Amino acid sequence: MSAVSIRNASKVFNLGKSNQVDALRNVSLDVKPGEFVSLIGPSGCGKSTLLRLIANLLEPTNGDVVVNDKPAAQARLDQDYGMAFQQAGLFEWRTVRKNIELPLELKGWDKNARALRANEMLQLVQLPEFGDHYPWQLSGGMQQRIAIARALAAHPPLLLMDEPFGALDEMTREYMQGELLRICAATRTTVVFVTHSIPEAVYLSNRVVVMSPRPGRITKVVDVSLGGERNEDTRNRTVFFEAITAVREGLRGMHAAHVGLGNDDR
Amino acid sequence: MPLVRRAAYRTSMFVAALALVVVIWETYKALGPADGGTLLGVRILPRTSEYAMPHVWDMFSRFNRPEVRGSDRSVFDAVLAGAWYSFRLSAAGFVMGGVVGVGLAVLMARFKLVQRGVLPYLVVSQTVPLIALAPLVVSWGGKLEVGPFVWPRWLSASVLGAFLAFFPIAVGTLRGLAAASAASVELMQSYAASWTKTLFKLRFPTAVPYMVPAFRLGASASVIGVVVAEISTGLRGGIGRLIIEYAREATGDPAKVYTAIFGAAALGLTMAGVVIAVDVFVMRNRPKESVS
Repeated sequence: MSAVSIRNASKVFNLGKSNQVDALRNVSLDVKPGEFVSLIGPSGCGKSTLLRLIANLLEPTNGDVVVNDKPAAQARLDQDYGMAFQQAGLFEWRTVRKNIELPLELKGWDKNARALRANEMLQLVQLPEFGDHYPWQLSGGMQQRIAIARALAAHPPLLLMDEPFGALDEMTREYMQGELLRICAATRTTVVFVTHSIPEAVYLSNRVVVMSPRPGRITKVVDVSLGGERNEDTRNRTVFFEAITAVREGLRGMHAAHVGLGNDDR
Repeated sequence: MPLVRRAAYRTSMFVAALALVVVIWETYKALGPADGGTLLGVRILPRTSEYAMPHVWDMFSRFNRPEVRGSDRSVFDAVLAGAWYSFRLSAAGFVMGGVVGVGLAVLMARFKLVQRGVLPYLVVSQTVPLIALAPLVVSWGGKLEVGPFVWPRWLSASVLGAFLAFFPIAVGTLRGLAAASAASVELMQSYAASWTKTLFKLRFPTAVPYMVPAFRLGASASVIGVVVAEISTGLRGGIGRLIIEYAREATGDPAKVYTAIFGAAALGLTMAGVVIAVDVFVMRNRPKESVS
């Protein structure tokens, strides 16, 4: 049993037209329940496309995507995953609490159950006193924590994140990484995480999937043997640096190949 | 309280602008040539006589005197009654225009085909002169009889108001419905939310800052439509009719027509004011964003 199972998935945009793009070619990936997997690679390597295939926001041109042991389309209908984007994307006309309740509303939960769960989620992201604030009254990091609370409100087994901390400053970013690990450990959520940042990917993940562009594919998978307990000291451990080096080499290998071929990197 | 200060500032600027118009009017009247100025036999400056340019205070004092000699009814009461009548017609036109405009915008947002097919005709519709349309609407309406429903004459004026009002509302709402960010649309998709759910939970709330100025335009357009329709269809009871009637007396009673014009201006301001009040209410918890 696996949380996500992708078999030979390909995605071609504008198939048969002059601006045809091979966004992904023959990608296979399995994510075990409770695992934290990062997708890393340069722009245009298809990591966001891969995430959207898992989310069934895009259909693969070829291949199969299975989420939670059912076809991705069914998993989306069942709200088997929550999603967070680079922009927190909170609805500015709703209070923080109402934002967290949004997925529950769409699932048809009644008012009391929604309020209970919203309180629970506010506790989880440690912002209990901000329920009645509006998003624009919160800092970027706080907004992103609310976005995570919203994504996890229905207790989905899987969390999909597309560069969620990309717009935050470095200090907030490291704090948020710690928070995310704490939240995922508390809820035993499986995470697929898209990022540009090598230390971020290594710090968070059990496995880092390195991808390369044109066509988008997986070139290397780095196992991170940092164990379950991670804290600020983790960032100074030798294993941490070794994993960073391994990921960097994976990225550099293909980068050199591309520079050698004279390709630009967009 | 910056909000209060800004409101005070705006109000004082509004009053100052009005005062400036009065000062310019009276200054020209005092200094300008009584006969106006002519250049090579063409008049390029207006006459400043009492008949052409009554004093501002004469216009206002005219409000207090009877509408016609020996009548109990003052001009003020007549103008107020006319403005109130036209206000109700404009409000009806505004509501009809709002329903049609928002309905069209939703259809256009839902079906790209409808948008491509309908939008050009909406633009063209606004180039048809209202004066040409007014008699048509009256005659079509006159032929319309559904069961006990008989088309009242005033409805033609409201329909013409709606005809002017729906356009900015449709276009503004359509823009607003399309303004939701790609990420928020994906978010709703990830929740497997239906198009209707997405419309009400995401697209309409996003559209509000676009819809408010569109409705403001629609409100004043509806007033213009109703006043023009009253004039061109000869509908009695409204402010448009008063303007025509009072203008006929301009030679003997030049200040009188201005009272009706003030009434029409106050009517337009009232309609816009109602929309602004609604705006302040619905946007009270939203950040002050700028929509260009």
